[in-house]
Amino acid sequence: MKKPLAALVLALLAAAPALAATKYGKPLSNATPVKVSELMAKPDAYVGKVVKVEGLVTEVCPKRGCWINVAGDKEFQTIRVKVEDGVIVFPLTDKGKKVVAEGTFTKMELTKEQALERAKHHAEETKTKFDPASVTGPQTVYQIMGTGAVVD
Amino acid sequence: MNWRRLNNVLHRDLGYLAAGLTLVYAVSGVAVNHRQDWNPSWKVEAETRTFAPVPVSDREAMTAALVERLALPGPPKSSFRSAPHLVELFYDGWSVKADAAKGTATIERPRGRRVLREANFLHLNEPKGLWTWVADVYAVVLALLAVTGLFVLKGKNGLSGRGKWLTGIGVAIPLLALLVLLWRPGDRGPRGEGESEAGGGGAHRGMGAGRGAAGPSR
Repeated sequence: MKKPLAALVLALLAAAPALAATKYGKPLSNATPVKVSELMAKPDAYVGKVVKVEGLVTEVCPKRGCWINVAGDKEFQTIRVKVEDGVIVFPLTDKGKKVVAEGTFTKMELTKEQALERAKHHAEETKTKFDPASVTGPQTVYQIMGTGAVVD
Repeated sequence: MNWRRLNNVLHRDLGYLAAGLTLVYAVSGVAVNHRQDWNPSWKVEAETRTFAPVPVSDREAMTAALVERLALPGPPKSSFRSAPHLVELFYDGWSVKADAAKGTATIERPRGRRVLREANFLHLNEPKGLWTWVADVYAVVLALLAVTGLFVLKGKNGLSGRGKWLTGIGVAIPLLALLVLLWRPGDRGPRGEGESEAGGGGAHRGMGAGRGAAGPSR
């Protein structure tokens, strides 16, 4: 009976390095990161492509850890990296850390109703006040469907 | 040793082996079930402060002024502005969100929920790697526990007696749930999440509504 228990303890110890890792999801490629400002300037040139970005984690999904906002090289700009629920879970303590993330750059055309719903949902998640006037019409939203990330 | 004796020994020892992880998964399962309403792993302690407004200038100057006016413990590790007057300061494990024009700031400190954070970490397989194998073995152990459990007793309390009724109820619950939640007349097979009436000949009731490909993301 002692042998299986010892084997289990050894297995858990072997898993310890993984517990300390700050790598999420699939390993990153060797591709050169694209600047967030470049994505913002010419988004349609990158839609559907796999991109790698690096920057500062400014916000983490407060409920499920299923997205992060990444600030890049220029002020007032962030790009959202959305990950599949449960596949990658970013802890709230990743906020303010440096990240390199990779995934497919996507474009969503939202009607005004969808944009309102999205803004309302975001306000609920982040426990901020929802201002319907902040949505004035249909929106185009760009984000990265993240498959992997490394947080320093 | 006859087969029932072997079955019972297996059921007993697997039960001992699985007890700890079953409790971990049970506690985490309840917590995660309600994650629409709360973050089951983290809570954020928020403290609101006011200060004399800081004029909008460059980020470094505004950061230095905020550190002084909010009596923060030194310069932050990093900072960010989402708008000229909205400054965020990031420290190790906590952050400050300030509206320099209004003179209001919220200090946020995320804290892992005791026990739940660790239970969810394992239950949601955040470690990946070797833990995936441990969890797979545990799933097999659970399946063996279920099967061997059916044959522990014989007679009126065994599977041929009251056991068949209770087992039947246990099997019927998920089947009924699927019938009520997913099935509609005319269905030919299961559909993926978000498939609409127009696209798939029917719509889920109560599951995945309004989450089509073009819908808002979380």
